[in-house]
Amino acid sequence: MVVYCGMGIQLSIVAAALCVACQGSDQPVPQPPTRLAGVRVVDLIPRSLSGETWQDAEPFLALYDSNPKLMAASAFTPNPGGSTSATAPIFVSNDGGDSWTLRNTLPSEGMTADITHAVGGSAPVLYAGIMKVPGFPLNELKASDVFSPATMTLQSSRPDIDQPFVRTAAVASADRVYVGLNDFDAPDGRTATVDVSLDGGATYRSRRIETRGTLGQNGPSIRPAVARDHTVYVAYFGWRSQTGSDVTSDVVVVRDDSGATGTAPFKDLVDPSDHLPGRLVATRVTIPWSNAPTLGQERIGSTLSIAVNALHSDTVYLAWADRAGTGDIYTVHLRTSGDRGVTWSGDRRTVTNATNASLAVAANGTAGFLYQQVTGAGDASRWVTRLERSRDGFATHQDVVLAHVPATTPTFQFLPYIGDYNGLLARGNVFLGIFSANNAPDSANFPQGVVYQRRVDFPTHRLLDGSGAAVAVSIDPFFFSVPVLP
Amino acid sequence: MHTRSAILLAVALALPGVPAAAQMNRAALVKQSDIIFIGTVTQVGAVAAPEVPASNRTVVVRVDKVLEKPAAVALVESDSVTVETVRAGSLKPGVQATFYTTGWIFGRGVAVREVGHEPGRSPVVVTDQEAAVAKARLDVNDADLKAHVDRAAMVVEGRVQQVRPAELAATPTHPRRITEHDPQWQEAIIQVQDGIKGAQPGEQVVVRFPGSHDVAWVGTPKFAEGQEGTFVLHVDSTTGSPHAMIAGRSVLAYTALHKLDVLSRLDATRVRGLIKKP
Repeated sequence: MVVYCGMGIQLSIVAAALCVACQGSDQPVPQPPTRLAGVRVVDLIPRSLSGETWQDAEPFLALYDSNPKLMAASAFTPNPGGSTSATAPIFVSNDGGDSWTLRNTLPSEGMTADITHAVGGSAPVLYAGIMKVPGFPLNELKASDVFSPATMTLQSSRPDIDQPFVRTAAVASADRVYVGLNDFDAPDGRTATVDVSLDGGATYRSRRIETRGTLGQNGPSIRPAVARDHTVYVAYFGWRSQTGSDVTSDVVVVRDDSGATGTAPFKDLVDPSDHLPGRLVATRVTIPWSNAPTLGQERIGSTLSIAVNALHSDTVYLAWADRAGTGDIYTVHLRTSGDRGVTWSGDRRTVTNATNASLAVAANGTAGFLYQQVTGAGDASRWVTRLERSRDGFATHQDVVLAHVPATTPTFQFLPYIGDYNGLLARGNVFLGIFSANNAPDSANFPQGVVYQRRVDFPTHRLLDGSGAAVAVSIDPFFFSVPVLP
Repeated sequence: MHTRSAILLAVALALPGVPAAAQMNRAALVKQSDIIFIGTVTQVGAVAAPEVPASNRTVVVRVDKVLEKPAAVALVESDSVTVETVRAGSLKPGVQATFYTTGWIFGRGVAVREVGHEPGRSPVVVTDQEAAVAKARLDVNDADLKAHVDRAAMVVEGRVQQVRPAELAATPTHPRRITEHDPQWQEAIIQVQDGIKGAQPGEQVVVRFPGSHDVAWVGTPKFAEGQEGTFVLHVDSTTGSPHAMIAGRSVLAYTALHKLDVLSRLDATRVRGLIKKP
């Protein structure tokens, strides 16, 4: 007789009780032997918070190249002390993602209203961009040591922004920080902005990247991607007009070939149609803007991701979501360019009723495409979290289903239900990422296996609190790692 | 909390014959704490879980009784907790005390930061301490509510007659924006049945609240038609449009954005009592 535990390792029944990967579970996890070797899925909620029932949506991940053991992660996870707390938490791992702890080091009351982060050139520096509670101003933050219990240091702050999205690059002794954000105080309704710091966050300059007219603003998602040669791409939605809840938008990519160090950055990629900076990868797409449960209890309206091959900056991937008009609710498109964004493929992947696209490119050129898709209907509908991997620009791909969970339970507590974004990165020969999903401890929901830190009872599919009492199912963040293609 | 004041609190609470002072100081400790337990120190300069850094200020405490904790926190009797003390050397192995703490690091185990501790007699009489902490928490909650009510422009007992979208004019300081964090302001028309502060029975009051389900507004009170309660109202300084319309009249608009702003109808008596307190 054979049982399987969280990492696809066959063990004899005699050894099952010693299964390391099942630590945190009260029982060994029976799983079918159909998994991809080397895949890990780990629920981030620590054992000491086994009673939590919050909707831990919109996860994000940061990795250190210099120390693969160290990681930071975030979600809409509140300070366990409650909303009157002066700080909000961040997750950290010092064992490569096998276990996580929660530390209250963000200067925001109880929780943030948005958060992303990226690492500095030397571990364990971390930069974060948050919308602070209360009032929701942008706070650009730095921790010299992400493991320190000290509150992160405020470097810059201003009101009236949305969705800060942080990327970094290390140059000699200084970190460069790129914070894509929608700045409502930008002139002429051209709100797509990148806050650029060339000195480790000591100073920032707001760089406006929209060069065309808008309906009064750009879409919320402004996404930078940085290559080792200091090429910086930024993707954004050029919102042109609105009819009811439908926005007509261009999908635009700008590029800077010198790390945005010049006086007029992000003008190195021009569209042939109007000779303005910003390549129009898709024009006049329909973006359904719905700030209500619309797709598997999730809202929709600003799904966008861009990734560059860090070692070969000519190669770039772009994904966004719109309404194709074929009876779909929301459709994710993936395109690629091999000439620095000058020309683009047609859709290499088109995924109906999906959101939260995240892209990454590994050192050997494997591209990763993470997304979350609703399948089925009504009570049978499921959120399927899938990572596709390709070595040929998605002419072909191999995929891995990481989670296959009910889409109708638990009932949403707020929006976003699972997130307006999730996270995917590459390091060495693995993709490392994070997503949020229904946390019911049911092996059928996690085809690659799953490791819980919090107390669970797999045979009865129950979450347990510290005293062993049942805890309601909720949304948890899940870390994963998947090998790149050889 | 400063080291010296923490020590003084510990001493004051330990001394017999100073019940009033002790009670006052206990309330101060409770106010700053979210995890309170009776425990016995088992190790000093040590930690109970590997993810917590040991120092000369960390001690391991065996939990004898949990008095208060957030529901999410898994903490039960006989668990070992790492406590980062206010002052190194302030606790010795074998000492039993009531620990007033805040959450620090949550991993395989719970690590907390000491706000203060109350040595008391050893062994601590659990039932006495449970009652004392519960009483202190009630006092803290009453003080918080009184301060909140004192800051309010109006407190009414009433019923929500109508909920409608707020029609707010865009202003230079509050232009229209499309964002997932849009509060989607709504207006609740409240029929005042008893004016506890700043209102008369029979008045109608317009209260603005975010109808949005966005994460930025989670926990903010929402109103529904027919809802009855005790409402603590503040002049609207949030939306940028300080006035609203009722039956063709322009009136001041109010907001109720804090969880203490919407109370049950039964709380009206408690609020009246707090208002009368000095």
